[in-house]
Amino acid sequence: MENSALTVRFAAADEAAACNDLHNRLYQEERTIEQWRWEFVSTIFQHPQIPFSVVDDGGTIVGTQAFIPIRMINRDGVFWTAKSEETLLDPAYRGKRLLGQMYDCLFEYAAEHGLRYVWGFTPADKALRRVGFDIPTRTSQLIIPFYCRDLPVLLQRAGINKPAGVRDRIRLAGFKIGCVAARLASAARFARAERVTRRVSTSHALRLQVLEQPPEQSDALCRRFVSQWGGTTIFRDADYLRWRIFENPYVRPIMCAAYDGEELLGWAIYSMGDDGAGYLVDVLVVTEPNRPYTPEDVVRRLLVQAVRSIRNMGAIAIRGWHVNDHPFAELVMRVARSVGFHHVRRGQSVVVRAADPQATSMSQNFAEWYVTRIFMEGTVG
Amino acid sequence: MNPDVAYVWRQILNHVSLFFTAEARAHLEGDTVRFLSWDEAQRSTGSHLVIPIDIPASVDPESPYTVPFNGTELTLWNRLPRPSTPNWEPIPCETRPLWYRHRTGTLLPAWNLYGTLFGLLTFQEELRSSQRDGHGRFLASYSPRYRRGLLEVPAFNEAVAALVDACTALDTDAEPQLRLGPALRPPAIVLSHDCDVLYGNDLWTQGVRAYRVFQPLARARAPRLGQLWWMGRNAVTPRRYYFDNLTGMVDLERSFGYRSTFYALNGTGGRFGARNGTRGLDELAAMVPDGWDLGMHYNYDTFLNRDRFQAQLDQLKHFTSKDMVSGRAHYLRFDPERSLPFLESCGIEVDESAGYSDGLGYRCGIGGCFEAYDTTARTPRAIVEVPMVIMDTTLVIQYAEVAIATVRRMLTHLQHVGGALSVIFHPGVFHNPEFPEMLGIYHRILVECRRVGARALTARDLVNALQRN
Repeated sequence: MENSALTVRFAAADEAAACNDLHNRLYQEERTIEQWRWEFVSTIFQHPQIPFSVVDDGGTIVGTQAFIPIRMINRDGVFWTAKSEETLLDPAYRGKRLLGQMYDCLFEYAAEHGLRYVWGFTPADKALRRVGFDIPTRTSQLIIPFYCRDLPVLLQRAGINKPAGVRDRIRLAGFKIGCVAARLASAARFARAERVTRRVSTSHALRLQVLEQPPEQSDALCRRFVSQWGGTTIFRDADYLRWRIFENPYVRPIMCAAYDGEELLGWAIYSMGDDGAGYLVDVLVVTEPNRPYTPEDVVRRLLVQAVRSIRNMGAIAIRGWHVNDHPFAELVMRVARSVGFHHVRRGQSVVVRAADPQATSMSQNFAEWYVTRIFMEGTVG
Repeated sequence: MNPDVAYVWRQILNHVSLFFTAEARAHLEGDTVRFLSWDEAQRSTGSHLVIPIDIPASVDPESPYTVPFNGTELTLWNRLPRPSTPNWEPIPCETRPLWYRHRTGTLLPAWNLYGTLFGLLTFQEELRSSQRDGHGRFLASYSPRYRRGLLEVPAFNEAVAALVDACTALDTDAEPQLRLGPALRPPAIVLSHDCDVLYGNDLWTQGVRAYRVFQPLARARAPRLGQLWWMGRNAVTPRRYYFDNLTGMVDLERSFGYRSTFYALNGTGGRFGARNGTRGLDELAAMVPDGWDLGMHYNYDTFLNRDRFQAQLDQLKHFTSKDMVSGRAHYLRFDPERSLPFLESCGIEVDESAGYSDGLGYRCGIGGCFEAYDTTARTPRAIVEVPMVIMDTTLVIQYAEVAIATVRRMLTHLQHVGGALSVIFHPGVFHNPEFPEMLGIYHRILVECRRVGARALTARDLVNALQRN
C-alpha cells in the first residue's frame, strides 16, 4: 500500500531497532530491544511474520501498529485473538489516513491466521471507530490510596496538579479532602477485612503461596473458570503466565496463589510500577460448591494479601480494573469494596472488532468477557 | 613471583572472572602481563604489558587526571614519567596518558597501577592515619582521596578495565582501543539490609522519639509533637514500617528479579546494641526466601571481642537454624588491620563492613570483592571483603535531590568499566513516613539498576563464584 512516497508494510525481522526508536523518540523513553522483542515477538504464537505494520518514509519508520496474538478461552474452547498495541504515528504524518492503512494490513493478517477478535484500550475513540472498532464500554478503577502525601502523583494524573485559578484551587482542595477521607475509609475497611480473613483462614486448609514459576494447573483452572463462571477470558496457561509474568523484563509481578492442599484454587497477581503505584493485575478463583469456604473467602484472602504486600512495598496506592458485569467481576468488586477499594469511574475506552467484519456486534459479545488489568499486556503485567 | 604482586594479580584475575567474559580472562592469563622493576620495564620490548612494582605509591593521590575510555572516563593518579629510553609514545595523548607504548608494541601503564592498587586493597591510607571517630571508625572525610574528590572512583575496576583492553589489543598486535566491547558483563548490584530494629516499639527507639519531642525546647523552639504520633503508632502496631518493611523489600526485589542479604542483629541490648534482643529472629529467618541470604550483623560490643562475638553467633544460629558465614558490623566498626583476621578466625567467610558511615565511596577503591591479605605472612586470607559503597541515609544526606542521579552516575560508570555496587538499605527507612525524605528511594535505586541491566548478586554469591574459579 502506498501513499505518495510512503509505504505501509509489515516490519522486517531486522527492523526491531528502528521500530523501537520511534517509540523511544515519541515517548522519550529508553525501551530496550529485548523489551521490544518480549512484547511483540511472541514465544507462543510462532509465525515467521509478526503482526507488526509500519509506515516507511524512504527507509525511515514513521508509524507503527501491532497486534499481540493472545489466546482466549470460553466454553467452546481456546481460540486466538489479538490485542491492538503500539499505535504510533509521527505527528508530522498525521491526517494522511495512515492508521487505517496499517490496520488494513493487520486485519488481513488476522483473518488469514485465525485471530478471531482484535481488542485494545485507548483514549483515541474517534480514530479507532473510523477503522471499524466498536466501543462497548470504558474501564473503571478500583483503588485504595495509601499515602496522601504522595497526592502530587495522583493529581498529575487527574490534571489538577498546577491550579490555574480559584476554580482549580477549589477542585484541588476537594480532591485532597476526598483522598484523605477515602484513605481513612479504606483503612477502616481493610482492618476489618484483615480480621475476617484471619478468622476464616484458621478454620480451614486454605494456604497462600508466592510462586516462582507458573503453576502447571493454571491451564485446567482457566477451563474450570469459564465452565463455572461462563464468558470469555484470556487463556492463562503456564506458557502465557511464563511469558507475561515470570519473564517480564520490566517488572516481574508477584503471583500469589491460593491452594487447598495441593489443589490450585486461584491467584492474585500484583505489581508495583515505576511510578510508585501498585497494580492489581489479575484475580482468578474457582472453588467447588462443597467446600467449607466460598469464592468470596478465597478472593478476600488474596486481595488482603495483595493490598498488604503492595502497601509494604511502599506503593502510594493500589489500582485494579472493573470493566463489565461478568459475574466473577461483580464478585471481585463486591469483595474489593469490603477490603477497602473505592470504585472510580475513570478510565479508557475498550475497543473491540471481529476480524470478520460481517460478524455480529461486538458490544453484546464483550459484556460476557472477564477483563482484568492483565488484558493491558503492559509493562506492569 | 613476589607474594605481594601475586596477591594483586590474583585479585585482578578474580575480578575479571566475575565481571568480564571468559575470553577476556584468557587474554590476561597468558604470558602477556609481566611485573618488573621500573628499570626492567623501561628496557622491555615486544608484545607485553609491563607493570612496574618497585615504585612507592603515595596514599595521598598525586595529580589526578582523567582519560576517556569506553564511553566514560578513567580517573588516574600517581602518574609515572615517560620511560627515559627512546621510542615510547603516550596513548591516547601526552597530557592525559593511559599507557606508554614502545614502538615494538610493549605497553607500560602511565600511572603507578600496582602500587596504587596494593595500597587500596591493604587499607594503607587508614593504616597510616590515626584519625578515628568516637566509635573508632575511619571516616570518609579522613581519607586523602576525599580531599581530592576521588572516593567515588573505583580505581581498581578502572585499572582492570584498562588491562583487559590492553591485553586484548596485545593478543591481536594492535594498539589499545580504549573500549571494551563484548568483553564486559553487565554490572552487579549487591543489596543488603541491616535489621537493626524489627519492632518500632522498643524502649530505645521510643526513648529517642521522646527525646526528639523535647529537644527543640533547649533552643527555645516549639516541641516536635509529631513524634508523639509515631510513638503512638508503633505502640499499637510495632511491626509497621519495620518488620513489615522486610516483606515489602523482598517483594520489591522479587519484582525486579533481584535478591539480597539480611543481616540479623542480636546479643547485648542498649542504645548501640540489639534494641529488640532476640525478638523476631525466628520469624525473620522464616521470612527470608530461598535465594536470599541471612547473615550476622555483628553487635557493637563484639568488636574484636571473641567471647561476645561467639555468644552472639551461637545465639543467632540457635534462633535461625542457619549457618552464618556472611556479616557486617553494626555501626560499621572496622579495624583495617585486625577486623578481617578476627572475623576469619570466627568462621566468617565474607564481610561487608568496609564502607564509610559518613559518605559514599569505594573505601578500598574497588566495586566488587577481594580476598583479605595477611601483610605479615604475605598470603591471601580465607575471608572475602565486599566493601559497602552506598548507605541509604548517607546517600540522601549527601546528595539530597540528586541522590538518584548520583546512583545512576555510579551505575553507568560501572556499566562501562565492570564491577559491582554494594548498597545497604535499612528496613526501618525503606518505607517509613517518619523519614519522608527516604520514601521511594530504594525503589528508584532498583529502577536505576534495571536501567543499566544490572544483575543482583549477594555477597555470598560472589564468594561462591570465586570458589568455583
